[in-house]
Amino acid sequence: MDKAFAERRRRELMLAGCLALVAALVPLFVKDVYVQNIMVLTLMYAALSQSWNILSGYCGQISLGHALYFGLGAYTTALLFTKFGVLPWFGMLAGGVISALIAMALGYPCFRLRGHYFAIATIVIAEIALLLFQNWNWAGAALGIDIPIRRDSWLTFQFARSKLPYFYFALVLACIAWFVTWWLEDSKWGFWWRAVKDNPDAAESLGVVVFNSKMGAAAVSAFLVAVGGSFYCQFVSYIDPESVMGFQFSLLMALPAVLGGIGTLWGPMLGAVILIPLTELTRSFIGGSGRGVDLIVYGSLIVLISLARPQGLVGLFARKKKALAP
Amino acid sequence: MTPLLETRSVTQRFSGLVANSDVSISVGRGEIVGLIGPNGAGKSTLFNLIAGVMPPTEGAILFDGEDVTRLPAAERCQRGIGRTFQVVKSFETMSVIDNVIVGALVRATHIREARRNAHEVLEFAGLAARADVLASDLIPSEKRRLEVARALATRPKLLLLDEVLTGLTPIEAQTGVELVRRVRETGVTVLMVEHVMEIVMPLVDRAIVLDLGKVLVAGKPQDVVRDPKVITAYLGDRHAVGQ
Repeated sequence: MDKAFAERRRRELMLAGCLALVAALVPLFVKDVYVQNIMVLTLMYAALSQSWNILSGYCGQISLGHALYFGLGAYTTALLFTKFGVLPWFGMLAGGVISALIAMALGYPCFRLRGHYFAIATIVIAEIALLLFQNWNWAGAALGIDIPIRRDSWLTFQFARSKLPYFYFALVLACIAWFVTWWLEDSKWGFWWRAVKDNPDAAESLGVVVFNSKMGAAAVSAFLVAVGGSFYCQFVSYIDPESVMGFQFSLLMALPAVLGGIGTLWGPMLGAVILIPLTELTRSFIGGSGRGVDLIVYGSLIVLISLARPQGLVGLFARKKKALAP
Repeated sequence: MTPLLETRSVTQRFSGLVANSDVSISVGRGEIVGLIGPNGAGKSTLFNLIAGVMPPTEGAILFDGEDVTRLPAAERCQRGIGRTFQVVKSFETMSVIDNVIVGALVRATHIREARRNAHEVLEFAGLAARADVLASDLIPSEKRRLEVARALATRPKLLLLDEVLTGLTPIEAQTGVELVRRVRETGVTVLMVEHVMEIVMPLVDRAIVLDLGKVLVAGKPQDVVRDPKVITAYLGDRHAVGQ
């Protein structure tokens, strides 16, 4: 029984390794910059959604305000670089730590709310942060921050002439987010989180300190999302409040996980691979004026999924496995 | 030796309604004690106060010689109070073994140790064959056993059972009774709330009868069932007079 479990865990790890290897080879065959751009975004959203999934999927605290941490990561990196000349790598780390601390500070009052009330609070807080940044002159206010372009270098993490370094970094980011999830899944925290999601009262009666579990999940989740935001800042070289802290980012982190399977190891990855290219393609075909159309597309996708397969697309694989078992 | 559990003049009010009034009970080490009484007697409230769902309005609760009156439920579990829920609260999206691992983690330093302990507890509770099944796929009597298994995995000194035998078929109830006996043999003290007298009376060493939030009678089960006050509480005055 334990052997079968260990075997399954090892198989998952190997599958992830193989997939990462295949993904790493794709740019050798795909030279189109537009397609490469989509691949970078897909990997980034896979990482973000995987991180979102830790708090909202595993621990069950649905956050629709993760754009806040994404924005904080981006802003910390940009501000440290432009104002103090701090390299983005340190900015990335600082952004992660700041986001984790803020997530816990916000969690302190918010984790007393249950269910929908928590989700609503997260939306409101992210919107307030957006307004604050739009009016914060030192941080560029609504005009945002331009990252000064220098020579291509890993040191400053800038590459004006090639998408490939970004692609590989995004791939590493997705792998890290996946691996952290995989590792946490079979840890004390992983069990506590799932217990808290399923039944907080029962969890408490079994010695799980529900509040601390939620705080832990929030910190890990916010840290990883902020690292993603920091990456995005380097990738686009220009940020303003709406472009890194807008509500659409909160949605784009939640939707892949919901589509693929919320609270599952593979759900966010699968969801991102389907959803993000679809979004980018509809956006470019319909053109700049149709900004809402992509939202309509994945809105309908989500409705379809929640009607036909509420546990997400990975549920399709699970059912097949169950049918095969004696 | 001090009793394992003691409540001292515990009173609980819910905005005007007095659910428990001046309740003082004690449970000795190794005992099986039944907490019985008609509907609305305050059994569940007392049970929840002992488990740490909320602190009492007045009075003190002592466990293992220490005052635990203000401790939250999670900390009481760490100290050695395990409980089940009357309305089962399984972790529905988790497998049976994962449910039990959550409980085992209180004592285990490593997840592997918790898994091993959880398997042992499932064996003990007769659920080993269902280890990999989702908790939501269990039948009701199995869910009850899972509640007990999960609580046992926390290695409690005191196990609080909230109507685990109610609503089972006679055969299922008999298996349940045997499980409780085996639990006691491992050195765990048991305090059980039950509604159905016939099932609990042969099982318990001592019975405490609550009525209208107060302790009505406490003593050996055979004495308690004959006590006119108990009969009145359960059946009304007419029957007591008929005795």
